[in-house]
Amino acid sequence: MEQIILFAPLVGAILGGFGWKIIGETGAQWLTTSLLFLAAILSWVVFLTFDASAYDNGTYTIDILTFIQSGTLDTSWAIRMDRLTATMLIVITTVSALVHLYSFGYMAHDDNFPDTAYKARFFAYLSFFTFAMLMLVTADNLVQMFFGWEGVGVASYLLIGFYYKKPSANAAAIKAFVVNRVGDFGFALGIFALFYLTGSINFDVIFSEAGDLSTQTITFLWRDWPALEVVAFLLFIGAMGKSAQLLLHTWLPDAMEGPTPVSALIHAATMVTAGVFLVCRMSPIMEFAPTATAFVVFLGATTAFFAATVGLVQNDIKRVIAYSTCSQLGYMFVAAGIGVYSVAMFHLLTHAFFKAMLFLGAGSVIHGMHHEQDMRNYGGLRHKLPYTFWAMMIGTLAITGVGIPLLYIGFPVGFAGFVSKDAIIESAFAAGQGYAFWMLVISALFTSFYSWRLIFLTFYGEPRGDKHTHEHAHESPKVMLAPLAILAVGAIFAGMVFYKPFFGSAKYVGQYFGVPYAAQEHGEDHGDDHGGDDKAKTHYAFAGEPGQGAIYVAPENTTLDDAHSVPVWVKLAPFFAMLLGFVTAWIFYIRKPELPKQLATQQAPLYNFLLNKWYFDELYDAVFVKPAKQIGKFFWKRGDGAVIDGGINGLAMGIIPMLTRLAGRAQSGYVFTYAFAMVIGIAVILTFFTIFGDY
Amino acid sequence: MLSQDLNTILPEIVISLYAMGALLAAVYTVKDKAGPLLVWLTSGLFVAVAFWIGTTGEGATEAFSGMFQDDAFSRFAKVAILLSAAAVLLMSQEYMQKRDLLRFEYPLLIALAVVGMMMMVSAGDLMALYMGLELQSLALYVVASLRRDSVKSTEAGLKYFVLGALSSGLLLYGASLTYGFAGTTTFAGIIEATEDGVSLGLLFGLVFLSAGFAFKVSAAPFHMWTPDVYEGSPTPVTAFFATAPKIAAMALFARVVHDAFGNSISDWQQIVAFLSVVSMFLGAIAAIGQRDIKRLMAYSSIAHMGFALMGLAAGTAFGVQAMLVYLGIYVAMNIGTFAFILSMEKDGMPVTDIHALQMYSKREPLKAVAMLVLLFSLAGVPPMLGFFGKLYVLQAAYGAGLAWLAVAGVIASVIGAFYYLRIVYFMYFGEERDEALDTGSSPVLWAFLVGSAAVMVVGVVNLFGIEPLAEAASLALVN
Amino acid sequence: MEDFLREYLPIVIFLGLAIVLGVVLILAAVVLAVRNPDPEKVSAYECGFNAFDDARMKFDVRFYLVSILFIIFDLEIAFLFPWAVAFGDLSMTGFWSMMIFLAVLTVGFAYEWKKGALDWE
Repeated sequence: MEQIILFAPLVGAILGGFGWKIIGETGAQWLTTSLLFLAAILSWVVFLTFDASAYDNGTYTIDILTFIQSGTLDTSWAIRMDRLTATMLIVITTVSALVHLYSFGYMAHDDNFPDTAYKARFFAYLSFFTFAMLMLVTADNLVQMFFGWEGVGVASYLLIGFYYKKPSANAAAIKAFVVNRVGDFGFALGIFALFYLTGSINFDVIFSEAGDLSTQTITFLWRDWPALEVVAFLLFIGAMGKSAQLLLHTWLPDAMEGPTPVSALIHAATMVTAGVFLVCRMSPIMEFAPTATAFVVFLGATTAFFAATVGLVQNDIKRVIAYSTCSQLGYMFVAAGIGVYSVAMFHLLTHAFFKAMLFLGAGSVIHGMHHEQDMRNYGGLRHKLPYTFWAMMIGTLAITGVGIPLLYIGFPVGFAGFVSKDAIIESAFAAGQGYAFWMLVISALFTSFYSWRLIFLTFYGEPRGDKHTHEHAHESPKVMLAPLAILAVGAIFAGMVFYKPFFGSAKYVGQYFGVPYAAQEHGEDHGDDHGGDDKAKTHYAFAGEPGQGAIYVAPENTTLDDAHSVPVWVKLAPFFAMLLGFVTAWIFYIRKPELPKQLATQQAPLYNFLLNKWYFDELYDAVFVKPAKQIGKFFWKRGDGAVIDGGINGLAMGIIPMLTRLAGRAQSGYVFTYAFAMVIGIAVILTFFTIFGDY
Repeated sequence: MLSQDLNTILPEIVISLYAMGALLAAVYTVKDKAGPLLVWLTSGLFVAVAFWIGTTGEGATEAFSGMFQDDAFSRFAKVAILLSAAAVLLMSQEYMQKRDLLRFEYPLLIALAVVGMMMMVSAGDLMALYMGLELQSLALYVVASLRRDSVKSTEAGLKYFVLGALSSGLLLYGASLTYGFAGTTTFAGIIEATEDGVSLGLLFGLVFLSAGFAFKVSAAPFHMWTPDVYEGSPTPVTAFFATAPKIAAMALFARVVHDAFGNSISDWQQIVAFLSVVSMFLGAIAAIGQRDIKRLMAYSSIAHMGFALMGLAAGTAFGVQAMLVYLGIYVAMNIGTFAFILSMEKDGMPVTDIHALQMYSKREPLKAVAMLVLLFSLAGVPPMLGFFGKLYVLQAAYGAGLAWLAVAGVIASVIGAFYYLRIVYFMYFGEERDEALDTGSSPVLWAFLVGSAAVMVVGVVNLFGIEPLAEAASLALVN
Repeated sequence: MEDFLREYLPIVIFLGLAIVLGVVLILAAVVLAVRNPDPEKVSAYECGFNAFDDARMKFDVRFYLVSILFIIFDLEIAFLFPWAVAFGDLSMTGFWSMMIFLAVLTVGFAYEWKKGALDWE
């Protein structure tokens, strides 16, 4: 079954991509989509029937074939099934299947390709991406994971540059590719380091040796470092690239050049979360690297804040959501960094639903508005696009974290984002990460503001911009609305349904992820945690060894447990931040629509700073891009042109022909010349021996 | 004892008796009309003897108190010599007949030359060596000038003879020095005498001996006769020069340096490496200027001998194995290439200008493809067999610590690729010309051309299993 | 020097004597003879005829053929001499070896005869 899930998208990609001339464009669309739905249904079956306690260490592997055997490197291509993989499977295949379906409508007409076939190509790329992503999450070893990692990179490149006739799309594709290479370099170095340390790239081996490695050191750059700190740091650099964390985030907003379904699938729900998945997957390493994880927390929190501030002022509807994604990824990294990996995965799961939904909703708006993306030209669309409006509304309620605080009926009551985001914020507080906690609360405020700003600008107020466009604005076809409806279910209920297994006590989480746990005696009663799911007042902590279960949490790391007993004000903080953001947005865009402009003129430097994304692009352009181009030009003109071409040409067209002429002249045709050459030859050899030989 | 000795050299005796008997029989009966028949008979005999040696021989036997050695090494070389000689004979029949060159002596001289070569590769003594060498050479001098009414052919024969005499003189001088300082002419004795290193006199002997061998394998700077003789001789004779004698001379070279001078590898290694590097570069560079395909093949063979010598220069068993594999591949390539050259005709007259091949692919697509494969293989382009031969010797040289030689070999082969690929360029992208070559050719030539090309492609699978044979042969020689 | 090389000493002596003798004879002519040249005396001697052409003219190739054939049989005799001298001490192997050698030469002789190499016209 797992094999079918993995290979169905590949089959679809190959048949649809190479065989569409035979089965037709529509045939290719149907084929890829139905295969994806098959994979999605099977994934849910796997996810729901997966019982971690049934297997050793909560994991089982399915060998597919021998992958690499070279020296001490011995690796199979295998599927590693555990709770992490199962969770990623449903996220990937569900969103991918829905995006396939959605694309039927969205990609039906395209002005960029007036007379070329493009649909089959698009669907094949989507399916190929899905296959690569599944390769990544089912990986049993680091190289297989790296294969998937690069595979999604390629797919992302192809899809961002799907409109290859647009220079901006090509530029964005290349930018995404190049920036990701920086991260991948770190990832690759991390793999090398692990192979160097353990002699293997298989997760089983690495995890089982993690404890021993924690005391070792490794020489990197100019000095010795604790081995696992270096590895964790290098792996995180890879994660930074893929998940668009600060410093390596610049490609994500530009990636919105791709078609909107692509943004929903790759740049919101799946690929960009690969970094979070990587950190969770490598939790046995991360747990032994306190410095590196502290860095993860710091960077995640900063990214969350940074992206949220930039999102406040963007006008392109997709860019707002893109920065929102960037910011939410920061949340996930904070959770992973403080060691509550299940919570990171929880937010990953819920985020996939509501963010895919927001993107698809935005796509629906763009589709209805004839590919207009600037929110300043929207307004009052809620009557023209009623279903889309409600979908976007649910998505916004989910991302901003609307729910009923402090109410607990076996689970908290609220939209998906409410449950998972609050879980992260509480965990951050419980872990004693003051900086991260406050950053995340402030980000929650900003998130609320820009999300409501998007809703108000798009669906409320007076129609702005081109009248003609507004007159012809139309609701999207059913094939695009159906995925929205399904995702809406996830956006509403995912948080509540999956609360316990992902953010319950260590007992539930441990059971769910197959991690051993043990009862722990605390000196005092911490009071009721979230309504008190553990009436017995027993506290549990993880008690596994590295490699047991899908994630590893050190026994002394009790953040998960502590998070349930944080002060009340901490639990309320994100809720009030959300309310504040909502009210501000309402004042700015419904009550006094002239206010934003005034503020922008008043605070011009700040506004421009945010509008230009903290000037990261300009900075990188000056520091990296321009000098690189200069160096490249130097090597091209001087190095390649003058030295190499000149040298080779001189050799091939000057020296060699000269020698040929010389050899031709020596071949005089006279026997005495030939005899002379022989004698000279002997003389040379004899002279050589007489002078250099030791006789 | 004597009967055992005779038994050991039975293959040589059979071919000699056949040659003398056929000579008398033909000269007293139909004379030149027996030519075609003798060609087929001789080839058949070669194949039969090759089969005989290849299947029945085993172990290592000495005959005539060590003068004659029969071991896996000599058998490998003999089978290769016999088979390639048979192939070249078969290819030559139609060409020779058409030009009224097929005298009955031709196949018999080849047979005698082959006996000489078999003696060479089995030699265990400097005198046996010289006897084999001269038997081979004298027969070859004659066939080189087989076309008596052509100035070029007689010039080729005469040049070959005069320079061959000089080289024989050098060889003999080396042999006498060796004898003088070692006190014996048997290889077994020489290797005993050099157990504590070689004296300067013995070293001089080695140098002169090497010069004589280098002449026979046409290694630079003793190669000068090669282009003129290749060009002047009738093409089938050229094909013969390029194949069997090269194997014999290389095998002889290997036998002498390992069997007689195996204790002073570091000394002759320098000589062989010198010959190798000069040959590779000279072959590659000088061939660029050639328009005549036979001269071009002459330089090509010089370069290829340089590569084979690289294997020998390694001084290891693996080096000898690499050399043998290389020679096997080289001969297979050359047979196909010369089958093609033999079929190059215009109005029935042989053509050797490479410009005549312009746009050849349009008229004879299959033959052009076969030739393309062969040229790629000669140039050492993967995945053709020629590449693996080169890889083998490069590995051997590198493994023996001669990395500089391996690098030089790679550079030389890059330079050399130019002239092979130029022919491909002419065949596929050249200018259309009026004076096109005749199409169609004899089935024998066609079969050899296409067969050889197929071998170049199919052989990459396991090299037709010659690797283990070559390994056994090399282990028989080096231990 | 090793012993076996000493066995070659007589050859070296003979070689030295031959050179000395040759030089002595030439020098004697230079020193002792009366020199009185005239055109007839310095012209090439050619079987009593006057020289009617340049000495470096083309010869009929048959001269070479005859001379080569002569050399072959000349060498055969050179081989036979030591064999004949040591005949009494030779084994049957030695005897039959020479017989085979002669047989091979005879084959060659029969061939050249039939081929017409010995006919002048």
